[in-house]
Amino acid sequence: MSSVKEPAVGRPSAQAPTLDLHEIQATVLRQRPAPYFGAHVLLHVDDARAGRQFLRRLAPHVDSAAGWRIAANAWLAVGISHSGLEALGVPRESLQSFPEAFREGMAARARQLGDEGVNDPKNWDPPFGSGQVHIGVTAFSDSEEKRRRAVAIAREQWENFSGVRLLAMQNFGAQPGDLNPLGYKDGIDQPAIEGSGVEPLPGQGPHIKAGEFILGYPGEAGVSLPMPQPDVLGRNGTYAGFRKYQSRVGAFNRFLHAHGSTEEERELLAAKLVGRWRSGAPLTLAPDVDDPALGADPRRNNDFGYSNDPGGRQAPLGCHIRRMNPRDTELTRLTDVNLHRLIRRGTTYGPPYDANALSEEGDKVPRGAYFLFISAKAMATIEFLQQEWINDGNFIGIGDERDPIVGLQEEGATFTIPKEPVRRRVHGIETFNVLRGGEYFFMPSLSALRWLGELT
Amino acid sequence: MATQTQLVADPKSDPVVEQKLRKLRELYADAPEVGRVALENGLSNLKRELAAATGTQNAGRIGARQGKVSELTGVIPFAKGGAKRLRGLLQALEGNFRGGDAVGTLHDMRFVFLDNDTKLLFATAYDGDWDAYIDDFVTKIPDAMDLLFCNIEGWPGIHSPSAKDFIAKHQIAAEAWYVANPNLTVAETRRLERVGKAVEELLDQIE
Repeated sequence: MSSVKEPAVGRPSAQAPTLDLHEIQATVLRQRPAPYFGAHVLLHVDDARAGRQFLRRLAPHVDSAAGWRIAANAWLAVGISHSGLEALGVPRESLQSFPEAFREGMAARARQLGDEGVNDPKNWDPPFGSGQVHIGVTAFSDSEEKRRRAVAIAREQWENFSGVRLLAMQNFGAQPGDLNPLGYKDGIDQPAIEGSGVEPLPGQGPHIKAGEFILGYPGEAGVSLPMPQPDVLGRNGTYAGFRKYQSRVGAFNRFLHAHGSTEEERELLAAKLVGRWRSGAPLTLAPDVDDPALGADPRRNNDFGYSNDPGGRQAPLGCHIRRMNPRDTELTRLTDVNLHRLIRRGTTYGPPYDANALSEEGDKVPRGAYFLFISAKAMATIEFLQQEWINDGNFIGIGDERDPIVGLQEEGATFTIPKEPVRRRVHGIETFNVLRGGEYFFMPSLSALRWLGELT
Repeated sequence: MATQTQLVADPKSDPVVEQKLRKLRELYADAPEVGRVALENGLSNLKRELAAATGTQNAGRIGARQGKVSELTGVIPFAKGGAKRLRGLLQALEGNFRGGDAVGTLHDMRFVFLDNDTKLLFATAYDGDWDAYIDDFVTKIPDAMDLLFCNIEGWPGIHSPSAKDFIAKHQIAAEAWYVANPNLTVAETRRLERVGKAVEELLDQIE
C-alpha cells in the first residue's frame, strides 16, 4: 500500500524476543513516528452485542508488537475502561479481578492522584470522568493521509449499525519539529523492556523486567502481578492512563519574561525547568549552551547520569526530567527507580507553541497534550508519581516544591536553581499544564480482544 | 489548621462547639467526680480546642494522618516461636535500625509484646501513604522485611501479592492521632538540620 519506513527510534537487539509479541498491541513497543499524525476516538457502548461486534470487526486492524519496527500503515491502539467492560457484558467475576483503582476510574481516584483545585474532575472537559467513555481508539501514523485512512477504517466499524456511539474525536500531531505545546522536543526517555527484542539506546539503562509493563511476565520483584481473569483476558494485556492537559502558554511565557530579560536568560531558565534545552539536549551534557545536534541524536541525547551533579548545579534536583527518572540521584527515601517507570506516548494537539503569546488569551487557546502512560500497574504508578515525584519535593530533599511543568502549583510556589555561591529561587511559578480530563483503560492482548468480541 | 483557628473569634457563640459541649456533658454525667469537675474547670481551654478542630485525614487505605505524618498500628498474633525469635533479633540489634534510616519515611517504630508473648503490638509514625513504597521494599529490602515479619502468624512472605492485604488486615486505625509538627517529614527534618547547621556556621564566620 505504501512504502515501508524505519520508525523514529529503535533497533532490534541481538537477543531474540521472549515475549509473545504477536499478542501484545503494537503501541506498547512502537514509538511515535517522526513526524507523527493521529487521532484519539472516544466511544460509548449503548448495546453490549453491538459493542462486541465492533470489537470483532476492529480486531483485525489492531497491529501486534511483532512488527514494532516496521509500520507500513497507520496503526490502531484499543483501550477499554471498566465501565466499558461492564457495558460489553464481561462477567462479574472477571470485573472483580481488575485492580481497585481501575474499577473506580481515574476521576474517583482524584484524592490519590492529587487532582484537586483547577485539576479537579469537576472542571474536566466532557466526556471525561462521566463514566460514559467505554472504548478509546488511538490511530498513529507518519502522514496526514494515513491518519485519515485509519480513522476511516475505525469509523466503518461503528457507523453502519447502532449501539456504539462517538463521544469525542481529537486529532493530534503535525506540529513543526514535533515539539510539545511548550516548545520542547519530548518523548526522549523511554524504559527498555527485557525480552522485547528492542535494543536499549545508550543511557536507557539496563532492561527492566517485562512484568512491569505487560501482564503475565515476572516483574522486577521476580513474580508476576495478579492478572485479570480468565487468563486469556489478562495475559499480554496492560493498562493505560490517559490524561488530557491544556497548556497555559501565555502564563509560561510571562513567567519566562518575568525572570529573564534576554532571550538567552529565558532559554536557560526554560532548560532549567525541564532539565533539557528545547532541542532535547540534556543540561547534564550541555550545561551552559544549547547543542541542537546533541538534542537530535537519539544515541547521545539520553546517555547520561547524575553522579557528577549530585547538587543539581547542571540539572536542578527539581527539574522535570530528573523527577520523572531520577536515574542515579541519591533519594531521601528507599526507592527502586525501576519500579516507577511508564511507557509514554505523548500526543500534542492544537496550534504549535508560540513564543510571542504573552496575553491571558494565550492561555485559553485549546492546545496541549494527551498522554498515554502505559504499564502493567499504570494506576499505582501514576498515583505514586503524582503523590511523590510530581506534587512533592521531599523525595529529592527540596521540601514542598513541585514539578515545574506538570505539577499543580499552590499560591506562592517556587522553583530552586542550585548555583554557586548561592542558589537562585524563582518565585511566581504557576500551573502551566492544567488537567482537562482522564480515564484508565485496559489494553487487551489481541486474543483478549477477540475473546471480548465473542462473549455471549 | 492554624489559620482557621484564628477565624473563630468567639468560640462561645459557635453552635457546633456548644453542641459538642452538650454531648460531652452527657457522656461525662456518669464519670467519677474528678472527671465531672475537670470538665467544668477546664471549660474555657476545651472550648478553644473544640473550635480549632479541623477533622481527621486518612492515610491511604487505613489509619489516620495529620498533615504529612501518618500512623500505623497493629495487634498481630505471633507465629509459633515467633516471639522468642523476634525478641532475640531486637535485642541483638540493640535499637539500631539502619534499615529504618534507609527507608527514609519512618519517624519511629515500637514493638510491644502482649498477652504472655502471644501477640505483638506494632506501632509506627511514617510519612505519606503506607503502601506507596511497599513495592520498593519488596525489591530493595525483602530480607529485612521477611526477617521481621516471618515471626507473625500467617505472613505470606514479602514477595506474595497478598502481602499488602495481609498488612492492611491487621491494621487497627487509631481513634485519635496527634502530631506536633504535622508538616515535618523525616526528609524535611534532616534537611532543616543541615540548613540550621549551615546557617550557624555562616553566622560564626560573620561574628
